Amino acid sequence: MNVTIVTHRDGDENEVAFNYQKREENERPMVLDVLLQAQLDSIPDLAFRYGCRARNCGVCTVDINGKPRIACRARAREGDRISAVATLPIAGDLVARRDGIARQLQGKLAGLPRHNDLNVEAPDDYHALTACIECYACLDNCPMHARNFDGTTPAQISDKASLPDPANGYRWGNPFSLLKIQRYRLDPLTTDQGQKAGIELANSLGLDACTSCPGCKCGVGIDLKRKVIKPLLQDSGLESPAKN
Amino acid sequence: MSIDTEWLDYDVLVVGSGGAGSHAARAASEAGAKVLVLSKDPIGCSDTKISEGIATVRQCSADDDSEQTLSENLRMAGADLPLSKITDAFATDSIDAYDQYRINGLRPPIDAERQTPQALPLPMGGHNRRRSVGHANSGIAFGHASCDAVIANGGIDYLEDNWFIDLVKAPADDNHPAGEVIGGISYDAARGCLVAIRAPSVIIAAGGLSTLYFPKTDTMRGNTGDSYAIAARAGAELVDMEQVQFLPFCLTSPPSYEGLLCGEPVTASFLGVLRDNNGKVILDGVYLRTRAECSAAIMRAVEDGRGSPNGGAWLDMTANKTPPRSGPYFMKFLQTALPSAYRNARQAMGKAAARCDDAWEVRPGAHYHMGGIRVDENGAGVAGSGDGETKSGVSGLYAAGQAMGGLFGANRLGSTSLTEVAVFGSRAGIAAARHAQSTSVSDHLKDLFDSAIHNTGTHFGKPGKTSAAKLRQELQQASWRTIGPLRSADKLAEFAADIERWQTELNDVPIPAYGSWNQSFIDFQELRNMLDTASAVCAAALQRDCSVGGHVRLDGKDVSLFSTPYSTVVHRTAHGAFDSRRTLRTRTPIKRALTYKVQEKHARLKASLLRLMPATLQDKHLEKRYRAIMGASGATAMMPGGTEAATADAGNV
Repeated sequence: MNVTIVTHRDGDENEVAFNYQKREENERPMVLDVLLQAQLDSIPDLAFRYGCRARNCGVCTVDINGKPRIACRARAREGDRISAVATLPIAGDLVARRDGIARQLQGKLAGLPRHNDLNVEAPDDYHALTACIECYACLDNCPMHARNFDGTTPAQISDKASLPDPANGYRWGNPFSLLKIQRYRLDPLTTDQGQKAGIELANSLGLDACTSCPGCKCGVGIDLKRKVIKPLLQDSGLESPAKN
Repeated sequence: MSIDTEWLDYDVLVVGSGGAGSHAARAASEAGAKVLVLSKDPIGCSDTKISEGIATVRQCSADDDSEQTLSENLRMAGADLPLSKITDAFATDSIDAYDQYRINGLRPPIDAERQTPQALPLPMGGHNRRRSVGHANSGIAFGHASCDAVIANGGIDYLEDNWFIDLVKAPADDNHPAGEVIGGISYDAARGCLVAIRAPSVIIAAGGLSTLYFPKTDTMRGNTGDSYAIAARAGAELVDMEQVQFLPFCLTSPPSYEGLLCGEPVTASFLGVLRDNNGKVILDGVYLRTRAECSAAIMRAVEDGRGSPNGGAWLDMTANKTPPRSGPYFMKFLQTALPSAYRNARQAMGKAAARCDDAWEVRPGAHYHMGGIRVDENGAGVAGSGDGETKSGVSGLYAAGQAMGGLFGANRLGSTSLTEVAVFGSRAGIAAARHAQSTSVSDHLKDLFDSAIHNTGTHFGKPGKTSAAKLRQELQQASWRTIGPLRSADKLAEFAADIERWQTELNDVPIPAYGSWNQSFIDFQELRNMLDTASAVCAAALQRDCSVGGHVRLDGKDVSLFSTPYSTVVHRTAHGAFDSRRTLRTRTPIKRALTYKVQEKHARLKASLLRLMPATLQDKHLEKRYRAIMGASGATAMMPGGTEAATADAGNV
């Protein structure tokens, strides 16, 4: 099986052809299997992230033919082009810098009063959002996240020095950040004050971008549009409940 | 050398950001310390996050679940290798430590009557009480809690994509006979620089060693033995390093699924058996067996040339599903008791296997490391005879989670590791913060950092011809054969010689000069840690010449009930090899140990009688038992999202 792997070394991009050798006659390898074999047989220092091989840890996301996929559970196909996710700056080969995403939330909802009874159950939607594995596939086509990169992606910006430094956390939000905010709001321990702070944070991250967006896609099937975006838009007054 | 170095000053440095690291960081920060967390993987992306999400909470089902009951349960399951002051700490703190997860957003089901988290209906994996709590979304819910503890709550600095390389220590003096930690050096791959951190307290919470056995493991790739190697190179002692926990029923193929969990002993249910490749039963009463017993039975068949095509054995559950009355209950039980494991099995082995028409090809996989850095009940490094003393240990060095040893000994009870990381993460965080308040890193020690930075920098731009990936694979295959589920003195000695050769070859791995995400340098560092850790496991496995718990010696006897238990202690010598010795432990009073054994035999006997019953009677009897576990509705609420359900281990109690 022939694939193309896009490498990034010290600022240089290269397309490397790799021919995957099936280990069993009827093997249908995952993209991660292809990368592991490429590292062993062809590109010894190929850089890529992976962790659990079972779609739980969320770190192995790469672009396959330009779309984000979780490498350990995406079947490889003849002619696939495997590259780092386009929505984040590249650190090396298939490794994207992820740190600017979560860091934008650092300490943002800390210090608010909370209810103190731990023996309360959370609503089903709280658990539905907890299913997020942080694969960051949802950044694809997100107009809010694109605001960090002049409405496009880091890959499209040729002057890499002009990219925002992820170490400071991104200025504009994304479906993952909104999910974390909405999850916090659904937590039975969150007070009215926390509810309000959550909405304010979502607004400051650019929630208005969602009003004109057809909706985001989750890597593990969480209904982001209905369970995250819609309630935040409603509670922020950006969209009247009647409209839905 | 052209790579830059950034200098940072902190009170407490935490290496690792999983369950243990995040609890340690939070506790140290709350105790007033300025804290930095370093993590090579994204924050919280650890074994805690990919676990089955079941935690031990004392007294969640019964008031008589005293601290003593739980503590003794841990020690007896661990074959008396665990230290009582460490198991006592676990028992004392388990309720409050679990609540720290809840403060960080973990929301369990609640027992409305008791006003506690809801315990699962059966005691899990060797517990003598129902005290395991399952969670929606399994470990992922705990991953969110780890992340929120470090990031959302603020007040803690962190750097991910950081490979911690080595501790920096001030030389030994009269007050610090094993030297004093003054910080460490890290490689920041994302920013392409080295980081020199001056800190009087360092907490190692960088996980286990299962990647030594890749792909025969169900854990995170990052478990490259970093914790043990880093501590050992700084002169710390390691305890019970031969005690690797293997789960018996992991997948063998297709390759993408190799090593992933497909069941636990309990999955085999009342009539499941293990067969060799000739169809001969090699283990019956599987559901009452410990993980270690099942693993040993499979590997002995393989060793004997009777293994399955992929080097395992066959888990045959056909007898469970055929009976007309109890069969449907069994299928429901199988599908819902361990849903993620069942999903792995169905995806990997297909429909016939999923219906249990075909036997499952299974093989053990590395899951957890019970040994680790030798510490006291607050996670502070200890050394010396007996239980060890902190004043003889490396001053300022702390460990928590899989990194530490002394809690589980030879066998770990199911669902305990998520509680372990909370208990000992918090304890280490508080102890490290206190230590930092009474100590400071003096400026004149900068030379010590400079030489560590220089040594690290010389690797960049190094020529060579050896592939780190190939060398790693060679080590992983050899680890399985030698320090895997079956061991012998001959093979261990060969392995020790191989390690020496690989350590030389490691220096021939080429490393380019560029600083930003230099994967060759990362591979070099991880492989160096894997080799040091393999060497420590090998030395301990040679020292323990009989079989106990996760350590099975083909050329040694099983440990006797009447012998005095001991732990192995290893430390790294100046030449890089590991010296080993034994330190005696306190034996559980014979009377109690015998009671334990008799109960175990009794349960096995009952299981044998069940298999001999006439078919119709057996079917009716089993239907009743399934209904008791699963409720009249037929839906088991047994282990939501859980695979820690080794009630087989519970047969011991």
